[in-house]
Amino acid sequence: MNWRRLNHALHRDIGFLCIGLTLLYALSGIAVNHMHDWNANYSIERFNLQIDPLPPGVVNSAQVQQVLRQLGESKISKKHFQPDPENLWLYADTRMIRVHLPSGNVQAEKPQRRPFWYRLNFLHLNHAKKAWTWVADIYAGGLFLLAMTGLLLLPKRADLKRRALMLSLAGVVVPVFFLLIYY
Amino acid sequence: MRKSVVLLLMALLLYLATSPVLAKTFGDGITLNKTTLVSELLENGDAYVGKRVQVRGMIADVCESRGCWVYVAGDKPFEKIRVKVKDGEIVFPLEARGVEAVVEGTLEKFDLSREEVIERKRHHAEERGEDFDPASVTSGETFYQIRGLGAEIEGV
Repeated sequence: MNWRRLNHALHRDIGFLCIGLTLLYALSGIAVNHMHDWNANYSIERFNLQIDPLPPGVVNSAQVQQVLRQLGESKISKKHFQPDPENLWLYADTRMIRVHLPSGNVQAEKPQRRPFWYRLNFLHLNHAKKAWTWVADIYAGGLFLLAMTGLLLLPKRADLKRRALMLSLAGVVVPVFFLLIYY
Repeated sequence: MRKSVVLLLMALLLYLATSPVLAKTFGDGITLNKTTLVSELLENGDAYVGKRVQVRGMIADVCESRGCWVYVAGDKPFEKIRVKVKDGEIVFPLEARGVEAVVEGTLEKFDLSREEVIERKRHHAEERGEDFDPASVTSGETFYQIRGLGAEIEGV
């Protein structure tokens, strides 16, 4: 097998091997880049409710129970927090309930993980650590080889060769250009 | 030969599947033996600025969009401390709200002008989809924050 054939075979096989992880990183990359516009990890349902007002100050457990009863909470959590004398935060399952004591206004949030996107981002951002780091490193190595073997796939036709070189150069110039502007 | 490769791949997959992913540990995890009270950090923060500290308490709130900060409830009423991590390096899950945690990091001090406070509060309000009135901020603020490096959170 001459080097051209070997290079082509390597490029093709590494390409196949990288398909799954490339899709994972590409999709998750877009999601993570636009996290401020769309929360890819959670969908959050929000409710506004009204209960009887309570006087500001440190709330006692009886008052917490009273609030929870008014909210119709069956699974009563003992956990609560007051960021200031006027506000009370309650936690029930995964929900967070913010109570403004003097007005009785209640804002409740119920987050739910988006199963597909959460898992994608979990892997992309390497929360798994451990062995997944090796997988990600191997994938990075695969991408490096893909680029190197790709460079050697220069076509024989002169016009295509020029085009291949220009496109490859563009891929290098773009990040350098942005580094010059932003860094 | 082919059987050996398949067996090897299966063994690798089994290892990957069973290797602990440390679901309860975030970042570097916990390295210190001593916990400092949040009230101590808030009252005598200057003595701890630049040092690695460990706090223990309930997670009072979590950044909804990126999981890049949490508030740890203090030991005294109305007290909490913000723990900020580098975006993407540690991502705190929303399910951590109301859960006990041990968090470590380096204490930082911020002296913000009124304009900086407005910008910061506006950003937080945007994150939570709330209205914000700049007129509600009348002066600058000095506060302490932990640059989060590791955490252990129960049951998430």
